[in-house]
Amino acid sequence: MDYSAIQKLENLLLVSVPRDLVDDDVIRMRRDILQAVRKYNSQIVLLDFSQVDICDSFFGRFIYSTAQMTKLMGAKIILSGLQDAVIETMVELGMALPDVDAVLDLDSALALSRAQAVQGSLVEGAASGPPEA
Amino acid sequence: MMTAGHDTLFFRIKDPMDVAKARREGMQMSMGLGFNQADATKIAVVISELGRNIVNYAGSGTITVIARSETNGKKYMRIIADDKGPGIPDVERVLAGGYTTSNGLGLGISGSKKLVDEFSIHSEVGKGTTVTAVKWLVK
Ligand SMILES: Nc1ncnc2c1ncn2[C@@H]1O[C@H](COP(=O)(O)OP(=O)(O)OP(=O)(O)O)[C@@H](O)[C@H]1O
Ligand SMILES: [Mg+2]
Repeated sequence: MDYSAIQKLENLLLVSVPRDLVDDDVIRMRRDILQAVRKYNSQIVLLDFSQVDICDSFFGRFIYSTAQMTKLMGAKIILSGLQDAVIETMVELGMALPDVDAVLDLDSALALSRAQAVQGSLVEGAASGPPEA
Repeated sequence: MMTAGHDTLFFRIKDPMDVAKARREGMQMSMGLGFNQADATKIAVVISELGRNIVNYAGSGTITVIARSETNGKKYMRIIADDKGPGIPDVERVLAGGYTTSNGLGLGISGSKKLVDEFSIHSEVGKGTTVTAVKWLVK
């Protein structure tokens, strides 16, 4: 199974989730994500779901647990590219994913992360500026 | 002219790989019968949840997926998950959802029920479990 598709893209960690994930792959992928977050000090992990057409409760738990784990490393999971059919099925199944944000596609994700980067540097700039009288 | 008939897929289920194969082929078969992407996805997820339960709670079992066309033109998919595992002591409770003995979400069965039109469980403690799900093709 080729899930080596974890790459750094600007200040995002981009994870291309493969179409058919078997349980062991899921666990391994989660470990790889955590390692990469540490290595690149990523703030945002983008899980690209555009190839995924079946999402069951195990997969849902994987998304949720990965979100919790990356949060403890100071990073945030964003889902992107969820197919309509997958969205409909997840919601009807009753799989709520609280605290997990989503964007429609990769472009929106990049825009969001660039906006956050700008905001971050503004905040940093303010903090390192001269103290107010 | 409508012709009646059916196609059957049969899977022995003992590990997650078998489940992945069954849901993938079940999804393809549903689309072949005329189901749209969303409904075929639902059928695949039901196969996945029932298959996963077989692996987790019974160790092994079978899944049969039937695509059927009736003479009146109506079509449906039927999924039968069968095992000789420990059985489910309180079926009503499992159907209600949120009940799990494995630190899951208790979503598999109650959620699957929402994705199909007909859903029934026949289970006897110590003998095994048979779950049947049917989804009709609506045009
Ligand atoms: N084939 C089976 N044989 C024996 N017990 C079963 C079987 N399928 C389900 N059960 C029992 O019913 C409970 C509920 O099943 P269900 O699939 O709804 O949730 P789960 O498997 O616990 O968690 P989830 O599916 O959300 O990961 C299980 O925890 C298990 O105790
Ligand atoms: Mg289950």
